[in-house]
Amino acid sequence: MTGLLAHDALLVSFVVIFFGLIAVPVAVRTGRRDWMMLAYSAVYTNFLLVTVAVGSMLYALVTHDFSVSYVAQVGSRATPLFYTVISLWGALEGSILFWAWVLGIYAAASVWVNRRREGNLIPYAVVVLLLISLFFAILLVGPADPFKAVFPVLPDGPGPNPLLQNHILMAVHPPLLYLGYVGYSVPFAFAIGGVLSRDIERDDWIRLARRWTLIAWAFHSAAIIAGMWWSYEVLGWGGYWAWDPVENASFMPWLVATAFLHSVIVQERRGMLRLWNLNLIVGTFVLTILGTFLTRSGIISSVHAFTTGTIGYYFLAFIAVVLFGSLMVVAGNSDRLRTTGRYDAVASRETVFLLNNLFLTAFMFTVLIGTLFPLAAEAARGVKVSVGVPFFNRMTLPMIVSLLFLMGVGPALPWKSSTRAEIKDKLLVPAIGAFVLLVVALAAGMRSVYGSLAFAFVGYAAMANLREYWIGMRARRAAHGEGWGTALVRLINGNRRRYGGYVAHLGIFLVALGIAGSQSFRTEREATLKPGETMILDGRTIKLKELWGRQEPQRAVIGATFDITINGKSRGTAEPRMNFYPTSQTPIPTPDVKSSILGDLYFNLQSIREDGSAATIKVIHEPLVPWIWFGGLVVVCGALIAMFPGGRVRETLTADLPR
Amino acid sequence: MNQRSWVAICFAMALLVAAPLGAQSVADSILEARTTAVAAELRCPVCQGLSIQDSPSELSQEMRGMVRDQLRAGKTPAEVKAFFVSKYGEWILLTPTAQGFNLLLYILPFVLLLAGAVVIIVVVRRWTHTAEPVSLPPTDSP
Repeated sequence: MTGLLAHDALLVSFVVIFFGLIAVPVAVRTGRRDWMMLAYSAVYTNFLLVTVAVGSMLYALVTHDFSVSYVAQVGSRATPLFYTVISLWGALEGSILFWAWVLGIYAAASVWVNRRREGNLIPYAVVVLLLISLFFAILLVGPADPFKAVFPVLPDGPGPNPLLQNHILMAVHPPLLYLGYVGYSVPFAFAIGGVLSRDIERDDWIRLARRWTLIAWAFHSAAIIAGMWWSYEVLGWGGYWAWDPVENASFMPWLVATAFLHSVIVQERRGMLRLWNLNLIVGTFVLTILGTFLTRSGIISSVHAFTTGTIGYYFLAFIAVVLFGSLMVVAGNSDRLRTTGRYDAVASRETVFLLNNLFLTAFMFTVLIGTLFPLAAEAARGVKVSVGVPFFNRMTLPMIVSLLFLMGVGPALPWKSSTRAEIKDKLLVPAIGAFVLLVVALAAGMRSVYGSLAFAFVGYAAMANLREYWIGMRARRAAHGEGWGTALVRLINGNRRRYGGYVAHLGIFLVALGIAGSQSFRTEREATLKPGETMILDGRTIKLKELWGRQEPQRAVIGATFDITINGKSRGTAEPRMNFYPTSQTPIPTPDVKSSILGDLYFNLQSIREDGSAATIKVIHEPLVPWIWFGGLVVVCGALIAMFPGGRVRETLTADLPR
Repeated sequence: MNQRSWVAICFAMALLVAAPLGAQSVADSILEARTTAVAAELRCPVCQGLSIQDSPSELSQEMRGMVRDQLRAGKTPAEVKAFFVSKYGEWILLTPTAQGFNLLLYILPFVLLLAGAVVIIVVVRRWTHTAEPVSLPPTDSP
């Protein structure tokens, strides 16, 4: 029943999309407002229809309707309700449905917000959004149909992938990732729409594209951090990033979107880089589709890869269409995308933005080459090779530390040109910060070159960014006699984009310190203990108190309880577990992490002796890891500050209020 | 800090200083460091992209043991890696050997980086030398 309803909804959405695609050219040619409204309604109706399909799927999942193919694939009566609901995005077909729904939300929201805007930009953007929606509608009735009728109907199903029902972060990471990934469709639509509408000279599209990129980017950043956290909390190896193909697939568009968020400033301020920015937006969008292709087609194996099928060909065709179409649009209009601004001097903020873009795009290409190389090697030599952590670390660390350094130079250098005295003052003073953090790192026992550089450059860049706040606040205090708190709030409000950007920078510094610290200062020990025995790691005495087991409805759990003591004082207990699911041959590790502001103590139960007399445990001391999660939060806060419009207007309003 | 914890710290410091005196433990820690370095370069055959150093799987624990034994028996890290390549194929190495076709993997990123740098230099030179009058946007947002 629910399957039929959803199928009908999806089929109707085809008609609606075609209708919208016809309405736009009519509206543009005749200038009739009613046809325009019709085209916009197509976007809203499509969203409602996909919502019906998603609602049907949730209903089918919750009511355990095993006549629906997707439910038969991921559902089980024993799975708790919460994990049943989130299994909506746990496998291929459901994730495509969820994708289509998020796209529907974005398309409807972006059109609704801009529905009164004059000119042809929005109508053309509607065409692009509808075409992307059409692609997903085709997937949903074709290779990724989640509503296929199953016969005979079985009484129960296998339940979701054990890895996906083992931790609450699975409810957070995938939706955030889709909200980020799919969100880049909107700036792509505005960019192509902007070029097609022939008002590209007005640079109107760039403001819209920037706003929506920032929204997607905030979700995407949060998603990457949440994914790292999930990997850390669930996979049991004590790491958060393995340069796995799926991680790379999610990281590449982030790098290009980050490059765009910076170079867009140059276009707005100086009228340069128009063509380049267009390329960055198209590149971000194509990379999201390419990433989906890599992970959904089964062409590259990975922890998170979905099942294989014919769906890969559809994605390949779609990538080809998007690339070819964008190329035609951009190339056909390149004469109108010329630079109108002028470059004054090399020692200027413009140059730093160019270098930022150079390193971010080179970073992306390095990750892309590393990810695709096994395919190339197999095609060219017929030999399977691996490209893993050591390669990516070796190649990208120089770029990462360069970018950290640039984050200190960029905010300090003025636009256009700078005097020798300015450069001296702005670039030399933050060296104090570099020196302080470097000394701290070396005193703490840092021995790696890149770790030391990361600490030093973070110190440098953090001081440069904080100094911008300090200079601005001091000026406000002098001019308006404000207190420090008021000055800070008004400073940020006066130019949210700029100071929001600096907040995001601070978040990145925290993430960088967390990664550098945990990679450099990590110590670990593995031991096989019987109850009552102890091991020592970094001055912490870890005693195995007991081993235990229990049966839960959907799984069996074996756990170990450890007492942690430092200098004879109790520091709590840890309970790492192993969860055994009927669908998985190997146990799913469930490490226990004891966090403090300076770092984590990570417990993973490696194995347990069959008679239950002893357990092998790995304990890892990982300094600064919580800073990564906190830094991610700060990055998102920075993006939120930069996202909201206003600024100057608000400032004059509040300035007139009685204090 | 009370007196007892000071005593504990002094005791710990004394242990730290005294520990290296046992030559056995020095040899052990060197062997452990070498094992870690080699294990980080070998892929866990039953995981996805994790090294046998990071992987918690039982096979990885066994393989780490083999690496340790071979290093203790006097093999060089290169010989240990070669042993695993002969057993599993080139795939077992997390970093492809830098020779032949694989060189592309190492060179291409730098070629692209250099090409980008050259483009920037050329473009900036051209831009700084065109002296046409410009109208800058009056605002002074970011």
